[in-house]
Amino acid sequence: MSTDEMVRAPRTSPTVVTRARRALSGLDRRFLPVLGTLLTLALMLGIGQQRYSTERVDFVSMKLLSNLLVDNSYLLVLAVGMTFVILTGGIDLSVGAVVALVGLSIAEMFTAGLPLPVVLVVAVLIGTSCGLLIGVMVQVFDIQPFIASLAVMFLARGLANVISVNSLKIDDEGFSALAAWSLKFGEGRQMWRINASMLIALAVLLIAFIVLHYTRFGRSVYGLGAGDGGAAVNLMGLRPARTRVWVYVISGTCAGIAGVLFALYTKSGFNLTGIGMELDAIAAVVIGGTLLSGGVGFVLGTGAGVLVYGLIQVLIAREGLDSWWTRVFIGVVLLAFVILQRVLAVRRR
Amino acid sequence: MTPTTPAPVPTGSRGAAVWREVSHHGLFWPLLALVLLILACGAASPGFLDVTVRDGHLFGQLVDLLRNSATPLLLALGMCLVIATGGIDLSVGAVMAIALAVSLTYLDNAADPRSVATVLTAIVLGLAVGALGGAFNGAMVAGLGIQPFIATMILMVAGRGIAMLITQGQITTVTSPPFKTIGSGFVLGVPTPVVIALAAFVVVAVVVRRTALGMFLESIGINREASRLAGVRSRRTTWTVYVIAGVLAALAGLVYGAPTMAADANNIGLMKELDAIMVVVLGGTKLDGGRFYLGGLLVGAMLLSTLERAVIIFQLPSQTTPLFKAIVLIAVCVAASPTLRAMLRGRRRADRESTPAAPVEKTTAAEVTA
Repeated sequence: MSTDEMVRAPRTSPTVVTRARRALSGLDRRFLPVLGTLLTLALMLGIGQQRYSTERVDFVSMKLLSNLLVDNSYLLVLAVGMTFVILTGGIDLSVGAVVALVGLSIAEMFTAGLPLPVVLVVAVLIGTSCGLLIGVMVQVFDIQPFIASLAVMFLARGLANVISVNSLKIDDEGFSALAAWSLKFGEGRQMWRINASMLIALAVLLIAFIVLHYTRFGRSVYGLGAGDGGAAVNLMGLRPARTRVWVYVISGTCAGIAGVLFALYTKSGFNLTGIGMELDAIAAVVIGGTLLSGGVGFVLGTGAGVLVYGLIQVLIAREGLDSWWTRVFIGVVLLAFVILQRVLAVRRR
Repeated sequence: MTPTTPAPVPTGSRGAAVWREVSHHGLFWPLLALVLLILACGAASPGFLDVTVRDGHLFGQLVDLLRNSATPLLLALGMCLVIATGGIDLSVGAVMAIALAVSLTYLDNAADPRSVATVLTAIVLGLAVGALGGAFNGAMVAGLGIQPFIATMILMVAGRGIAMLITQGQITTVTSPPFKTIGSGFVLGVPTPVVIALAAFVVVAVVVRRTALGMFLESIGINREASRLAGVRSRRTTWTVYVIAGVLAALAGLVYGAPTMAADANNIGLMKELDAIMVVVLGGTKLDGGRFYLGGLLVGAMLLSTLERAVIIFQLPSQTTPLFKAIVLIAVCVAASPTLRAMLRGRRRADRESTPAAPVEKTTAAEVTA
């Protein structure tokens, strides 16, 4: 994973405590929360390896990674979009409802007989327009992001309910082929695969990484997180207003893509999907080391956050605990991370 | 001629001034929406506005509306105080579920769930759990200085799981007439939930507005550090506010769950935190903190429940309710936004010159989005 390379590179020679401490102090402190995420990931993988490995099958394997990415590809895309918004100090509550709306729209469009490419493009554009609506409300009408995205969440959920309150099956041949397509590696129980949704999710992550770290737009996104209403960004000759609209458009587009991925995953559309999914995305972003106040965080950290999130579910399932334990554990992990971030922030002063 | 011509000018401008005064009041748009909605419902369903007295109790659609407004009002009361300090409480829905789960599980295991003493103990237990949840939120926000959104989100995510642990994943149901009265009984002809909600409203209003507490809350919302330096115990006050919000949320959970007497941990209070925030916003309070209007909550809560009822009266599928919530929320927020007013008055240019931040960008953004 590129996440590991990025953050582990500066963390050399952790053999002696003093040397480790020196390495840490030399390390850019912005990386510390992400380092926490990676440590948690390593810890959970270690526990899993310890408890669930059998003689023939290792717990930590390409199979685990590929399963995690296949099962959480939509969440990864949502979380990447959310990272943009949160970096500017905003929030987007609408994404879960948009996923439901997109899923039902896809089912409805196939029923109407539209060809696959048109359906996919329109599906993503539905997400884009939801994001644009939030962006306009936030930027032009000066409505708080929380309320603006809450309104769009109600809107998308309501529209989804208008389309259908039943689960609609998607049985288009091309769509099914896309969902079933995968490259298989390995043999027998060790077999793992790469499928379309995984590739799309990783591509989104890569594009987001490049955009955030190597473009003027990315700089503006971080600048908006300063919380001065974009004054500093404006003085730098960047474009705060346009950027603020664009982050919501990006988040909406990501929600559209995630809707497509979720439809590929479930091969159906249902109006109750994605309730609370926005919170999963926000939690993954926070676990990934991004501060909700904006300005601090990395999109690759978000990738690691999504993996932690997925791994919690795997561990709970392997442990044979009831599913509601998942929520409790996610709460506990969130708590630990928030406190960690707080401790780091205090020490920084 | 001369005395007549200037005469209309002052009256006209006074009329305009009064109009501006009225339409600029935070409650103007929500109240207008509420009145229009109730009138529209009255037109669509002739008996809507009738209130009759049957067996000494008030009956009618409007009374039902009041009853349905009780839960959002209770939640919004706590939420409003939290928002006044510049915070937010996302956990109220989960706290509703936990409180109801604790109360009903206690009643379920009690020897005599029908005795009043047992019911009172159950209620106190539920409220205490709410206070505990609020104390946790408060400790995170005031003690550790974590952002309220994420601090309360922890309990929101974990809370429903905790409620499930309490009910063992079952939907706990009990029969206890005294407990049921909380949700479906009457006091002096008025539905009990309405009485409870109004009593809570009056108590909070008196405590907040007749003492300095309200001003402390607003000062914390404006600038925590400055208010601390000015001698406001900002930590303790913030903490208290979250505890109050927790207790009110627990109360709302008991009132909401009492008629059915079923603790469905998955669904009780689901998305209610968003309803509560919507009520606060419709009531004219901004999420930035620093100012709050308790009176607006009454309008907001009524507007919310009227909206839900109107969807049924107009014979629309009840699943479309979120759509209309969205429309009302967007309409009220946009109507109240200063930008739109400036636009309508054609004074955007003047505004643009007075604000240093992003002067050029506003135009481009408008072009991009147009």
